[in-house]
Amino acid sequence: MQTTLDAYDTPAPDHIRSHPKHWRNRKAGHHWRTHDEEFDGSKLGMWLFLTTEVLLFAGIFCGYAVFRLLYPEAWANGSHYLDWRFGAANTVVLLISSWTVANAVRCAQLNNQKWLKINLIITLICAALFVFIKLKFEYIPKLADGKAPGTFFNYPMAQDPHEPLWWSLYYVGTGIHALHVLIGATLLGWVLYRSWRYQAYGPTEYTMVENSALYWHLVDLVWIFLFPLLYLIH
Amino acid sequence: MSYTLAEQSWLSKFIFRAAPASDSAAWSDGLFMMIFWFSTFFFVLLMVLMVYWTVKYRRRPGVPAPVSPHHNTPLEIIWTVVPSSALLVIFILGFQGYLSKTVAPTGALELRVSAWKWGWAITYPNGAQSPETKFLEESADGTVVGNKYPIFYVPENTAVSLRMSSQDVIHAFWIPDFRTKMDVYPNRFTGYTFHTPTLGLEEEVFDETVGQNIPGRDMWVFCAEYCGDEHSRMAATIRVVPQFIYEQKLAEWNAPKDPVELGKQIHEGRCAICHSVNGTPGTGPTWKDLYGSQGLMSDGSTVLKDDNYIRESIYIPAAKIVAGYAGNMPSFQGQLDETQLDGIIAYMKTLSQHAPQPAGSDTGAEPATESTESQPNETTGGGQS
Amino acid sequence: MSTIDATHTGPHGHHEGSYLDGPAGFWSRIAQWAVTVDHKKIGVMYLFAVLFMFFLGGVAALAVRLELLDPVRDVVQPDGTSVTTGYILQSIFGATDGVSGNEIYNRAFTLHGAIMVFMFIVPSIPASLGNFFLPIMLGAKDVAFPRLNLLSWYIYVFGSIFGVLSILMGGVDTGWTFYTPYSLTTDADHWRVVLMVLAAFILGFSSILTGMNFIVTVHKLRAPGMGWFDMPLFIWAIYATSIIQVLATPVIGITLLLLIFERIFRIGIFDPAMGGDPVLYQHFFWFYSHPVVYVMILPAMGIISELLAVHCRKHIFGYRAIAFSSLGIAAVSFLVWGHHMFTAMGELAAMLFSALTFLVAIPTAIKVFNWIATLYKGSIALNTPMLYTLAFLFLFSIGGLTGLPLGALATDLHLHDSYFVVAHFHYVMMGGTVIAFVGGIHHWWPKMFGRMYNEKVGMLGCVIVFIGFNVTFFTQFILGTQGMPRRYANYVDEFQLLHQISTVGSWLLLVGFLVHLFNFIHSLLAGPKAPPNPWGGLTLEWETESPPIEHNFHHEPIVKHGPYDFDTVVPPHCDPKDFPLPDKA
Repeated sequence: MQTTLDAYDTPAPDHIRSHPKHWRNRKAGHHWRTHDEEFDGSKLGMWLFLTTEVLLFAGIFCGYAVFRLLYPEAWANGSHYLDWRFGAANTVVLLISSWTVANAVRCAQLNNQKWLKINLIITLICAALFVFIKLKFEYIPKLADGKAPGTFFNYPMAQDPHEPLWWSLYYVGTGIHALHVLIGATLLGWVLYRSWRYQAYGPTEYTMVENSALYWHLVDLVWIFLFPLLYLIH
Repeated sequence: MSYTLAEQSWLSKFIFRAAPASDSAAWSDGLFMMIFWFSTFFFVLLMVLMVYWTVKYRRRPGVPAPVSPHHNTPLEIIWTVVPSSALLVIFILGFQGYLSKTVAPTGALELRVSAWKWGWAITYPNGAQSPETKFLEESADGTVVGNKYPIFYVPENTAVSLRMSSQDVIHAFWIPDFRTKMDVYPNRFTGYTFHTPTLGLEEEVFDETVGQNIPGRDMWVFCAEYCGDEHSRMAATIRVVPQFIYEQKLAEWNAPKDPVELGKQIHEGRCAICHSVNGTPGTGPTWKDLYGSQGLMSDGSTVLKDDNYIRESIYIPAAKIVAGYAGNMPSFQGQLDETQLDGIIAYMKTLSQHAPQPAGSDTGAEPATESTESQPNETTGGGQS
Repeated sequence: MSTIDATHTGPHGHHEGSYLDGPAGFWSRIAQWAVTVDHKKIGVMYLFAVLFMFFLGGVAALAVRLELLDPVRDVVQPDGTSVTTGYILQSIFGATDGVSGNEIYNRAFTLHGAIMVFMFIVPSIPASLGNFFLPIMLGAKDVAFPRLNLLSWYIYVFGSIFGVLSILMGGVDTGWTFYTPYSLTTDADHWRVVLMVLAAFILGFSSILTGMNFIVTVHKLRAPGMGWFDMPLFIWAIYATSIIQVLATPVIGITLLLLIFERIFRIGIFDPAMGGDPVLYQHFFWFYSHPVVYVMILPAMGIISELLAVHCRKHIFGYRAIAFSSLGIAAVSFLVWGHHMFTAMGELAAMLFSALTFLVAIPTAIKVFNWIATLYKGSIALNTPMLYTLAFLFLFSIGGLTGLPLGALATDLHLHDSYFVVAHFHYVMMGGTVIAFVGGIHHWWPKMFGRMYNEKVGMLGCVIVFIGFNVTFFTQFILGTQGMPRRYANYVDEFQLLHQISTVGSWLLLVGFLVHLFNFIHSLLAGPKAPPNPWGGLTLEWETESPPIEHNFHHEPIVKHGPYDFDTVVPPHCDPKDFPLPDKA
C-alpha cells in the first residue's frame, strides 16, 4: 500500500525490509479473508477484553463504595494519610504517557519509524516513573509506618477501628492497577522491540500498536478514577 | 384455628410430611400447591403433545414431512402473554406470603436466637435460656442413643418474632413446620416471625424433667446454611406448649441450680456436639478425665488443664489448641457467664479421675440470671479463628 | 443459508487429508496435537478433558450418594461403642487422622460441586462442541484467534491441575460457593483452599478468552451470504453464552482474587471479624454465578434446536423467537443474582429480585413452546440424538417449572437451601445441559471422528440414563419439601427411604453412562465409516467430509439457503430419493 504517507519512511537496510516481520511483508492469517478484516477483528477482540478489565475494576470500586458508606470516618481518615501531591504527580505522568502512546499509534499509521520509537520510549519512562513514585513515596513509607492492609495493620495513631479495611482496599485497588501498569509496559516494550528490530509496524500493520495503546489508555482511565476516590475525598 | 395431621390431604402429607403449623405456613403451602397444579397442567399438556406428535409424525421412509408454517406470530404472542400474566400472579402472591413470614406484628414475643459452630441457643425476654434437651427422634428399636439437642419452648397461639445473630460463620434457622427460614449472620441481625398453633386436645409430648406427658407439639429445627463439620447435627426442637407451662418453665429455669446439674445441662445443650463424656474423641477432645490432666498442645507445649485453662479455652479457644485438633471452637465470651462457667468446671470435675472428688454437693451457686446477649461481631471480633 | 455453490463442491486441485491425520509415531502425534491451533483438534482435546472431569466429579457424586444410604445421626451407642457418621466413606478412603467422617463427606460434596461447575459444565459445550462446530457452521476456516484458543486450552489445563492438586492434598470442605467467613477460617493451616480458589480463578481466564474468540468469530468470519438470521440457532446460543462469559467472569475473577488475598493476607473485606461483609461476597459471587447458570444452559438449548430440526427434518418453529430469547435470557441473567439470597436480604430487594426472576422464566418458556411446536407435522426419526432431545424437553421442563416455587418468595423461604433446590438445579444442569451435551455428542460424533456408533446401544444407554436420572433426583424434590436441608452428612431416619431410592438411581446413572462409554470406544475401534451427512442436516458442517479436512472446506462456502429449509432443499451428500421434498402447496 504505497501512499503519500511514505514521505515519512525511514530508509531501512534491505535485510529489515525483506524480513517477513516487516510491516510491508505481513500477510493476513490463513483464516481471514483480508488484512482489514483481521485488523477489525483484533480491535473488536481488544475492546471486549477491555470490557472485562473495566468489570474487574468495577468489583473493586463496588467494594470501595460499600465500605465508604459503612465506615465514612475510616475513609475520611484514610484519605488524610495520602498525600494528594504524589497522586497528582502520578496522574500527570500517566496523562503524558497516554498522549505519547496515542502519538505512537499516529506515527505507526504515518510510517514515522523514528518518532514511533521515541514516543514509545517516553511512555515507558513514564510507566517506570509512575511505579517509582508509587513505591518510593507511597508504598514503602506507608508500610514502614504500619499502614498495612488487614491484620498486618499496626499504625499506632489510628483513630478508627476500620482503617485496616481502608488500607486493604487501597492496596488491592492500587496494587492491581500497578500490576496493569507493568503488564501494559511489557506490551509496549514488546512493540518497541519489534519496531526496533524489524520495523514491524507501519501504515498497513499497526494492530499491535493500537491494541497496546488501547490497553494503556485503560490503565490511565482506571487511575483517573482511583485518584480522586482515594486522594481527594477528605 | 388449629391444624392437625388428620386434616392433611394425602398429597400434602406426601409432599410436606408435616401439616403447616401456622396460617402463613398454610398460606404458602396453598401457593405451592397452586404452582404445583399450574405446572402439572402445562407439563402434562406439553408432554402429551410431545409424545403424541412424536408417534404420529414418526419418520416413514420415502415420505416427506408435510409443509407446515415456520412461525406464527399470534401464537408466539399468546404463549408469551399468558404465562407472563400467570407468573405475575405467582409473584404477587409470593410477596404477600413473604411479608406475613418476615414482618412481625406489634406485641410479638421476641426471642433472641444465637448460633455458633455448632449449636443454637434462645434467650427469653426474662434472660432465661432453656437447659432442657432431647433426642431429635426416637429410634424405633431403641438400640441407638444419639445426641441430645436443646428444646426451645414457645407458648401456643402466640405471635413469635426471632432476632438472630451468629458468633462465627453463617448459619440458617429453619423450622420446616413453619415453612420458613432465614440466614443467621455474624455481623448483623436477621429475623422472621411465625404464629404458633393452638394445640389440639390429643397433642402430647414427653417431658423428661417431670417424667410424664404434657400437652405440646415438637418441631424440628435444622441449620440450613452449610457451616462445617457438624453442620448436619446442628439441630434443635421447638416445643409449642400451653401458656402456663411456658411461664412455669421460664420461672423454673431462672431459679438457682446445683452447679454440677447446671454444667451437665449446658454440656448437653451446647457442648456435646463436639465433646463427648465417655472418652470418644469427637470434633473436640472428650471431657472424660480431662480436668486436672496434663495435655500436649499443638505448639508443642504441655499444659495443666486446670480452672484457668478451661476458662481460657471457653472464652478464647484459639489461645491453646490441643494437639491433633483443628481449633474449630468459637468463643463463648458473652454467651456463658461466670455462674455457667463454674457449673461446667464443676461438671468436668465429676467426670475426671484427676480431679479431687467433692465431699458433698456445693450449693452456693448464684442464680443464673445474668446471661447476657451476644453482640454481633463487634465485641467478639478478632479473637476467633 | 448454507450450501456450497454446487459448482464448487467436490475435490478441486490438491487433496487435503482429515484433520485427524498426522505424522506417524506416537510422540510426534502428541507433539502435533500439543501445539495445534486447529479449532477442531482443540475442541476434541477439550471434549476429552471435560469428560474426564465429568468422570471425576461423578465419582465424588457417587461417594456422596453412597454415604447418604445410612442416616447415622448418632455418636454413641448404649454399650459405649461409637458409630461415626461418614463411616461408609471412611471405610472406603480409610480413616485419616484428625479428619472426621463428616468432613470426608463435606469434602466429597465440595469436590463434586467445584469440579462439575468450574471444570466440567462451564467449559463443556462451548469449549468442546462449540470450538469444533462454531467455525464450521459459520463456514470459516478457524476461530478468529487460533493461538488465543490454544492458550485458553492450556489455561484450562493449568487451572484444572491446581484443582486436582488441591484434591490430592486432601481436598477442601468449603462448598463450591466458598461462602465467607467459613471459607476464610476452615483448614486455616493449609493451602488447599487457596489452590482450589486459584483454580477457579485461572479457569475464568480460559472462559473469557473462549468467549471473546467466539464473539469476534461470529461477527467477522461468517461465510459470504450468511446474515445474522441465517445462522444456525446453535451459533446464536453460543453467541449469547459468550457475551455472558465475557461480562460476568471478570467479576468472579476479582472476587476470587480478593478471597485469595483474604486467605493469605487477612485483608478483611469479606471477614466480619474485621468489619468486612460476607453478604458483599455473596453479591459478588452470585453476580457471576447466576449468569453462569445460563452459560451452562444456553449452549444446551442451542444443541436442542439443531437436533430437533435435523431429526424432525423440519424447519425449526419460531426461529427469531428462539434466537431473540437467547439474547433476552443473556440480558436478564445479569439482573437476577439476588434470588440466591432471599434469606439474607431486606423486603424491598427481595421483592425486586423475585420480580426479575420471573422475567427470566418467560424467554425460557417461549423456547420450550417453540420446540414442542417444531414436532408438529415433522418427519421424526427416533434415534439416540432425538431420544436425548425428548429427554431434555421432559427433564428441562420439570427443572424450569420447579424454579417457580423458588422464585416466589413465600415458598422460597421454606425451600431455600433444601434438597428441593438440589433437585431443581440438577434437573436444569444435568437434565438440561448434560443430557443435551450427550445428545449433541451422539449427533456430531460421526462428523467429529468419522465413525458411526451402534444406534441400539446408544438408545439403551439413553433410556437407562433417563430412568436413573429421575429416580435419583425426583426423590430429592420430595425430600426438600419434607424438610431435608442440603449438604447434610447425616439426617433424621424419616428421610432414609427416599435417600436410598435416590442412591440406587445414582447407580443406574452410572450404568447408563458406562453403556455410552462402551458404545463410543467400540465406535472408535470398530465402528462403520460415517458418511459425510448421516442425518441429512443442512448446516455447513454436513457439507464437508466426515471427519472434516484440515481447513474445513475445500473452498469457501457460499450460503444460499437457510439452516432449516428442509422443505425446499435436499441435504448435501444425500440422495433425493431418501430425502423427498414435499409437493409445493
